[in-house]
Amino acid sequence: MVTAEKRQELLDRLKNAVIQYDEDGAKEASNEALDIGMDANDAIFNGLVSGMEEVGRLFEAQEYFVPELLMSADALYAGLDILKPHVKQLDLGVKGSVVIGTVEGDVHDIGKNIVKMMFDVAGFTVYDLGRDVPLDKFVEEQLRTDSDLVCLSAMMTTTMMGMKKVIDDLRTKNPNVKIMIGGAPVSSDIADKWGADGYAKDANNALKDAINMVSSLKKLKEEAEAKKKG
Amino acid sequence: MAETRTMTPKERILRLFAGEKVDRPPCFSGMGNATTEGLGKLGYKFAAIHSNAKMMADVAAATYKLSGFECGVVPFDLCVEAEALGCEINVYAHLDDILYPTIKKKIIHNEDEMGISIPQDFTKRGRIPLVKEAIGLVKADIGGEVAVGTYVLGPFTLAGQIMELNDLLKLSFKKPDKVGGLLDILADAIVLCAKEFEAAGADYITVREMGATSDVLSPRVFKNLILPYLKKIFGQLKTNTVLHICGKTNDIAPFMVESGATAISVDQKNDVAETRKKIGNALLFGNYDPYNVLVAGSQANVRQVIRKCMDDGVDAVWPGCDIWPTVPIENIKAMMDEVINYRR
Repeated sequence: MVTAEKRQELLDRLKNAVIQYDEDGAKEASNEALDIGMDANDAIFNGLVSGMEEVGRLFEAQEYFVPELLMSADALYAGLDILKPHVKQLDLGVKGSVVIGTVEGDVHDIGKNIVKMMFDVAGFTVYDLGRDVPLDKFVEEQLRTDSDLVCLSAMMTTTMMGMKKVIDDLRTKNPNVKIMIGGAPVSSDIADKWGADGYAKDANNALKDAINMVSSLKKLKEEAEAKKKG
Repeated sequence: MAETRTMTPKERILRLFAGEKVDRPPCFSGMGNATTEGLGKLGYKFAAIHSNAKMMADVAAATYKLSGFECGVVPFDLCVEAEALGCEINVYAHLDDILYPTIKKKIIHNEDEMGISIPQDFTKRGRIPLVKEAIGLVKADIGGEVAVGTYVLGPFTLAGQIMELNDLLKLSFKKPDKVGGLLDILADAIVLCAKEFEAAGADYITVREMGATSDVLSPRVFKNLILPYLKKIFGQLKTNTVLHICGKTNDIAPFMVESGATAISVDQKNDVAETRKKIGNALLFGNYDPYNVLVAGSQANVRQVIRKCMDDGVDAVWPGCDIWPTVPIENIKAMMDEVINYRR
């Protein structure tokens, strides 16, 4: 029996485990949530993800830096690995799959991994091509998987030029695909000029963008649920 | 208007480093500035210039010859020390696009492998001898007129090259002593490498520690974990030195000065006017955006940004990072003209 009190206690524990980068705590609370029959979606979104939202706020306030962000992500994944198999998939009317990777010449993948995490949380199917990915591979993988979204990341000025090529190529082959680019050297000007649909300036912005995306997905889920009930 | 001052660019830079008065700020860099125009004139492929001392030197000198940019800097990539420590690199020889070399294979794969030792013949390994030779060649070519520079990585950034950055960052929080031990060893390796470059006649050496930017690490971690090893490095080098960190640096600028580098270098994210107040007369180089301004900007935009750098109080007009090779030579010339003629 999930009482309102017990539910809140577990959500707080999940949230705090992420904020305090406590992997064991996240595992324990996740297992307990399943044991008492809590909805896995509830535990993920209102527990783990709310913790990550707070981490994003701490990061923005410069109380947290990248090491803390990475450790919080580990705690989130520790919980997610346990909860995810129990998520009931809802028909959202979108397929929700994404191809993501760091462009060739760039071996920095921390920003990319944080964005990937939020897609994982949101229940997207993620095709992670990794880092230092040859440009053609993005187009190939998008066509192979018919993904809705392609995310390209470059951490350095010296590698971001490759992204333009990928965008042009994707647009030619599939005008409907959504493209998001990110990384330290990228600006909204560049994203506009190159014809990307969205951009994330740095890890923090990527995190915020991804959280926004997840939040809007959450809304979709709630609407779908409401429809079912109604 | 052409330069009418009598100080040569080299004298000006050396006097500036020596703390003497100069007639205007020099306009140079401690980081890479290969240009596609230079490469084209020489008929070289970008991927080839990293492993050939003459080509490396020619491309470095070509920037000065084509634009008047007041230095010659080698190498162009960030893998020299890591390679000499045993990492494998990728120069992307199969591509005609401009891609900078990266590390293909790291030497530390987990926490237990962090107790590395420096190879006995470290300074003879990888491309350290090649860069040394290239420094000599640039000096022989243009070293009478302009300053010849080179760079090494900072210990934290080098650590990020030889092991997973992800692990390094988490460990610097969870096990700072272990990371400190590695940084201590790497500081020794960096000194060995920099001393070779010093012996080859480099007029100044830039230590690039961009991994420790406040975009990534807190100022507190910078002070406690990174600064001691930067001090160790600068304490042992005799030539002029510059500490470069990009991204957010406002809070760590005083620590950067405390490191003992002759000058500090910051990028466009730094509020230079603010930093100037904090660090007094310490030499401060910066801080124009080398891509969005120098490569992608109009000449008018370039001039405006360069004037702001000088108004904010930089001691040398200097880019925030490597200059992206497709830079229009006319933009560098506009920058030089602005530095020479502003406020005369």
